[in-house]
Amino acid sequence: MRQFSWRKIGTIGAIVLAIWACSTSGDTDSPTPTPPTDQAGADRKAMLTNIADNIILPSYANFKGKLDAMLTKADAFTAKPDKTTLADFRQAWIDAYTEWQKVELFDVGPGEKHTIRNFFNIYPTNVTGIEDYIAAGSGTFETPLSYSRQGFPALDYLLNGLGTTDDAILARYTTATDAAKRIAYLKRLTGQMNTIFTAVYGEWTGGYRDTFINCTSLDAGCSTSKLVNGYVLHYERYIRSGKIGIPSGAMTNGTANPETIESLYKKDLSLTLAKVAHQAVVDFFNGKSVKTGQEGPGLKTYLNSLGAKDSRTGSSLSDIINQQFTTSANQLNALKPVLYDDIKTNNTAVVQVYNEMQKAVRMLKVDMTTAMSITITYTDNDGD
Amino acid sequence: MKPYFHRTTSAAPLALFRIAFGLMLFGSIVRFWSKGWISELYINPRFFFPFYGFEFVKPLGHNTYVVFAICGLSALLVAVGLFYRLAITSLFLSFTYIELIDKSTYLNHYYFTSMICLLLIVLPAHAYFSVDAYRNRTLLSDQVPAWCVDSLRLFVSILYVYAGLAKLNSDWLLHAQPLRIWLPAHNDLPILGFLFNYSWIPYAFSWFGCLYDLSIPFLLWNRRTRPWAYAAVVGFHGLTALLFPIGMFPYIMIVTALIFFSDDFHITVLRRIGSWLQMPAHFLRPHRSFTYQPIAGQTIRSLLAIFFVIQFLFPFRYLLYPGELFWTEQGYRFSWRVMLMEKAGYAQFTVSDDRGNRTIVNNTEFLTPLQEKMMSTQPDMLLQYAHMLRDYYAQHGFHDPHVYVDSYVALNGRLGKPLVDSTIDLAREQDTFAPKSWITSLDDKIYGF
Repeated sequence: MRQFSWRKIGTIGAIVLAIWACSTSGDTDSPTPTPPTDQAGADRKAMLTNIADNIILPSYANFKGKLDAMLTKADAFTAKPDKTTLADFRQAWIDAYTEWQKVELFDVGPGEKHTIRNFFNIYPTNVTGIEDYIAAGSGTFETPLSYSRQGFPALDYLLNGLGTTDDAILARYTTATDAAKRIAYLKRLTGQMNTIFTAVYGEWTGGYRDTFINCTSLDAGCSTSKLVNGYVLHYERYIRSGKIGIPSGAMTNGTANPETIESLYKKDLSLTLAKVAHQAVVDFFNGKSVKTGQEGPGLKTYLNSLGAKDSRTGSSLSDIINQQFTTSANQLNALKPVLYDDIKTNNTAVVQVYNEMQKAVRMLKVDMTTAMSITITYTDNDGD
Repeated sequence: MKPYFHRTTSAAPLALFRIAFGLMLFGSIVRFWSKGWISELYINPRFFFPFYGFEFVKPLGHNTYVVFAICGLSALLVAVGLFYRLAITSLFLSFTYIELIDKSTYLNHYYFTSMICLLLIVLPAHAYFSVDAYRNRTLLSDQVPAWCVDSLRLFVSILYVYAGLAKLNSDWLLHAQPLRIWLPAHNDLPILGFLFNYSWIPYAFSWFGCLYDLSIPFLLWNRRTRPWAYAAVVGFHGLTALLFPIGMFPYIMIVTALIFFSDDFHITVLRRIGSWLQMPAHFLRPHRSFTYQPIAGQTIRSLLAIFFVIQFLFPFRYLLYPGELFWTEQGYRFSWRVMLMEKAGYAQFTVSDDRGNRTIVNNTEFLTPLQEKMMSTQPDMLLQYAHMLRDYYAQHGFHDPHVYVDSYVALNGRLGKPLVDSTIDLAREQDTFAPKSWITSLDDKIYGF
């Protein structure tokens, strides 16, 4: 009897281990049975494929077009600074900066690896630091301290903030004693943006796309988790806090701080940038194709397939989130065109935008991630 | 038939358990150390969350490594049975000390490990197949009082049955929560993955898990069902190891369940090891019974009785608190409530004073991501953190600071809502065993245990 049970246990144990070993072997060639149709949205590979092919890659391609155009205008301006080339450069800068708002949220893969945001959109820009770099004729662009001396905010200062009139600004590039150095800085700045973006885009088009769609697990190191973490972080820290919360003082002791807005030297652009960024976040949530405008598999369909809903009212979590997005967008749209002035004279309305965005943050950061079983791994540093 | 307390049984189950437990704990310590968790969890954090009543347990800085070294060494000594009483006592103390440093690392199986160590202090697990017994022939015995082995079995049974009782609630059985959230996360697993897209699967897992916990001790105890029950133990815990990030727990339970096996099984295993190590026959077959001194035996049995009464009652202390247990977590820990909740939260603190100072706290300045995650869903930790903030800001220019929290917590698929009344100044609230009136109501009822 003793021997018998011993052997029996061994056999059972071996069978169990064999099943277990097979199920963990990571054998990707095995045919995957078709999931039940009502659960199709739970297919993360389909979601990641739609996000890569119809959202991230075309968004990057669009941004590349605007960035390249800006670089061309920058070359024209540095070759011959005059009113025409300045106007062209500025317009191209506006176009590229606006388009940037649609790619900043992809904090995953090459974008995350190269920390592309750090090189493109850290504001408020450091005017003293920029002038130091110009005077020195050199200086690294790779350290955290240098992030606020480059990218779109630095261009904002150099294109719009050097003087009160266009003539005064142009004089800094033509007749001023450091004109040559200033032009050289512009060239370095745009060259740096080109280098970083080319690296990120090159990796996305050069094989990362396949890595991205095939890393389907929800572990912290895989696509969905990284994407969602980056997405929520973007909404919380770079839209809610950066564009609204910090300038309005809602994040600090209530004292408005309008000098910290995005595109400080082109004050009528700030609100546009905020609206475009917000819309990009909404479209991403809904899996909306950048090419066709059609909605496809995305966070919304994934949440729906999981059946995430408010058990009291029966409304789906994705609807609730979309409603909150709409409320935030409406508050944003209700602001006057120049955010800087609104913060100074009508700050209650701006704080109201923050409050609505804060509600959306909670839904994204708590309700959405808990429904998806994704752990928030980023550490938020609000309030610095 | 002898009265129960005079009955003896083979010492082999206790000895083999001691060896396996010691080695496993040693392995856990090595694993913990090699992953860099000692510094990450016990040295780097700026604040710690001590347990109520154990505030005297302080983090030890770099000496924490010494405590871990003592713990690891003690575990090895326990395994080989050298200086057993000293080793098991120092294992209990060092392990428990570590676990008491910070609440955010609390795990039920750490508590289980601590309690097993406590039991082993008074049990003669070194009477057989140990270095101590080899060196001291008056200790060497192959029979021990039956209640010594049974008390371990009883404790393991309590764990399973209470874990099963805790699953008898409406979230688990009627809504398949939280497995309904956790399982689809694995729908990309090869072979098994597609199953997790079916909505009946979480129900099947929930009901099976509940029945498993409630019945497994009895099935293990019964000789006929034992092999199948053990296969279920291996299968069940193997699956949980595959699906959930629960570290050593499944392996601890797989090894622990061996305690239910027959004397013959343990004797066979130990004799095989013994003959492989060429141990003398009289060491393997001493034909002697371990007996306590009458007073010692009586005392130990009384202490065990107290221990088990506490173990039986303590998990039910939640009945003394108003509100929903999963929401308030008053009486949640130390009750074998395992894997019952998917709870996520967000807590933003505002510190202010009457002189116009006001700031929104950046939690990462004070807490690690793990601490912040735990703190944001557990009311007692929210309060502890509020007090840390009060004391910190009082030293940094705030006069008699007020601390308020804007919290938002989602539980088992419910939409998030505030966990704490945001108008309450937590700086003025005290942590006691009394119900915490500032915790909001869940506004929902979870039926059952």
